[in-house]
Amino acid sequence: MCAGAASAAPSAERLAVCAGCHGANGQSAVAGTPSLAGQPRVFIENQLVIIREGLRDVPVMKPFVAGLSDEDIGALAAHYAALPPKVPAAAPQPDKAKAGAALAQRLLCPTCHLPTYAGQQQVPRLAGQDETYLVAAMKQFRDHPGPGRDTIMAATLRGLNDDELAQLAHHLAHARP
Amino acid sequence: MSANWIWAAPALLLLAACQSMAPPAAAPAAPVAAPAAAPPIWQQGRSADQASSTLAPVPGRMIATAASEIPVASLKAPAGFKVELWASGMPGARAMVRGDSGKVYIGTRALGRVYEVTDSGAARTSRVVVDKLTQPSGVALRNGSLYVFAIDKVLRFDGIESNPTAQPVDMTAVFKLPPEQHHNWKYVAFGPDGKLYVPFGAPCNICEPPPEYAQLRRYNADGSGMEVIARGIRNTQGFAWHPVTGELWFTDHGRDWMGDDTPEDELNRMPRAGLFFGYPYCHAGGVPDQDIKKANACDGVTLPVQTMGPHAAVMGVHFYTGNMFPAEYKNVLFVARKGSWNRTKKFGYDVVTVRTDADGKNARIAPFLTGFLDSSTEAFSGRPTYFLQLPDGSLLISDEQLGAIYRVSYAR
Repeated sequence: MCAGAASAAPSAERLAVCAGCHGANGQSAVAGTPSLAGQPRVFIENQLVIIREGLRDVPVMKPFVAGLSDEDIGALAAHYAALPPKVPAAAPQPDKAKAGAALAQRLLCPTCHLPTYAGQQQVPRLAGQDETYLVAAMKQFRDHPGPGRDTIMAATLRGLNDDELAQLAHHLAHARP
Repeated sequence: MSANWIWAAPALLLLAACQSMAPPAAAPAAPVAAPAAAPPIWQQGRSADQASSTLAPVPGRMIATAASEIPVASLKAPAGFKVELWASGMPGARAMVRGDSGKVYIGTRALGRVYEVTDSGAARTSRVVVDKLTQPSGVALRNGSLYVFAIDKVLRFDGIESNPTAQPVDMTAVFKLPPEQHHNWKYVAFGPDGKLYVPFGAPCNICEPPPEYAQLRRYNADGSGMEVIARGIRNTQGFAWHPVTGELWFTDHGRDWMGDDTPEDELNRMPRAGLFFGYPYCHAGGVPDQDIKKANACDGVTLPVQTMGPHAAVMGVHFYTGNMFPAEYKNVLFVARKGSWNRTKKFGYDVVTVRTDADGKNARIAPFLTGFLDSSTEAFSGRPTYFLQLPDGSLLISDEQLGAIYRVSYAR
């Protein structure tokens, strides 16, 4: 009954622009750029809106979101949410991944991100996400949580050191979707 | 307030679950290393048997919902009442205030916008007055000036109705806003005494609030004369003055993570300043808190007129004073229940009336507007939030989830 977006699909031209950084089919091949495939629709919608509005400051995204209408955003979100998520290629380093897993349990990441780290609604998928991006994003939450960044995330990551963030990122990046 | 604070550094507090769309403002102060053995402070207040819960706040919708996708026909009101879509396309629309010219100003949270709606008679159009603010949900009008309360800013737009490009006067400094964000997005209103009533919610799910939180203050319109008039209020997002007694009535959100059915949200009456409404020690109709224990926890607490249901998310309240609705609705309180997240089965997602004596006794709740929630599937369409009574006696109801406003009218 939730008002669903019956939006038209994004144009091939627009998707080609996104693919330039986010990869074909939303699976990033560039370290530091996030994958979009399989992200919850509401998460993508919300992030595109707050980036467009300037509430979340992502300078590299600015030119690409500037002209997006609400309908465009709805269409993009629906498109990427439906794509199969990237499956991690390599195996993790066991000790690093184990440390990250222990941290994730202690911090209760699965509460919001789900035990599979698939995310839900406004909470992003973490499983199989680009490891470099995860570290950078977590550092932002920890050190510079500005407008557009969730207050719960800032509180959760407060006090973790860089090694711990790296362990978390390693565990999550290698979690199979 | 006691110095026995469970939480330490500023931004380190909050819900025991993920938050939907509240963008934080300033960077936090000195970090505090969480001890390895203790649970992280953000999930404080959650019991062990809920450790595997994946309950999380309902995400708002940040893009516009087309009118054709708003299921007004599913909404049900008592016999003789009609519900129609009055305006739409305003994601995040919350509290509404109306100027003398008929323009309606509407605050939002995450999107950071304040909308202005113009009614041409045939249709409503809207524009954005200001944006990129940090949760500017508080709006109030006085002498032609629009007051906008964001979490960290107060702006006043003079003559806004006739001067759409009025540049705001920044009033932030005089209102002495404390730094914490959680539960500090505002509902504000001018009282019959001409003063501006501003709440400051507890910056956590459950904690000993620092001295400047969990309270209601009032100020002169210029920010002078600040008084704390009530304490022990966790998070009020709606209040109104009784048409006969002039007393303030307000809703208060109960804490999370004490289970599906307790503590309930509250509807309170404030017969005078200086009362204590219970938080953090005593909730709802006299429920001692399970984490912050105090002997005789409910002694000295002003208990609610009526509990409003578990995790209902009570929002706007309005005493009906018009002549359109049947006489039995005169001076009756309408309450919007936005609906639960911290409950395995959803509750609320409706508008109810609460009939009481003027002193709050003999309270009876009755459904007024339903149809937002399908309990058999747990799917919901919208979430009713705030009220605005029009001069003709019809009642506008905002729906934050769908970015829409309904108009409820009555004809025999």
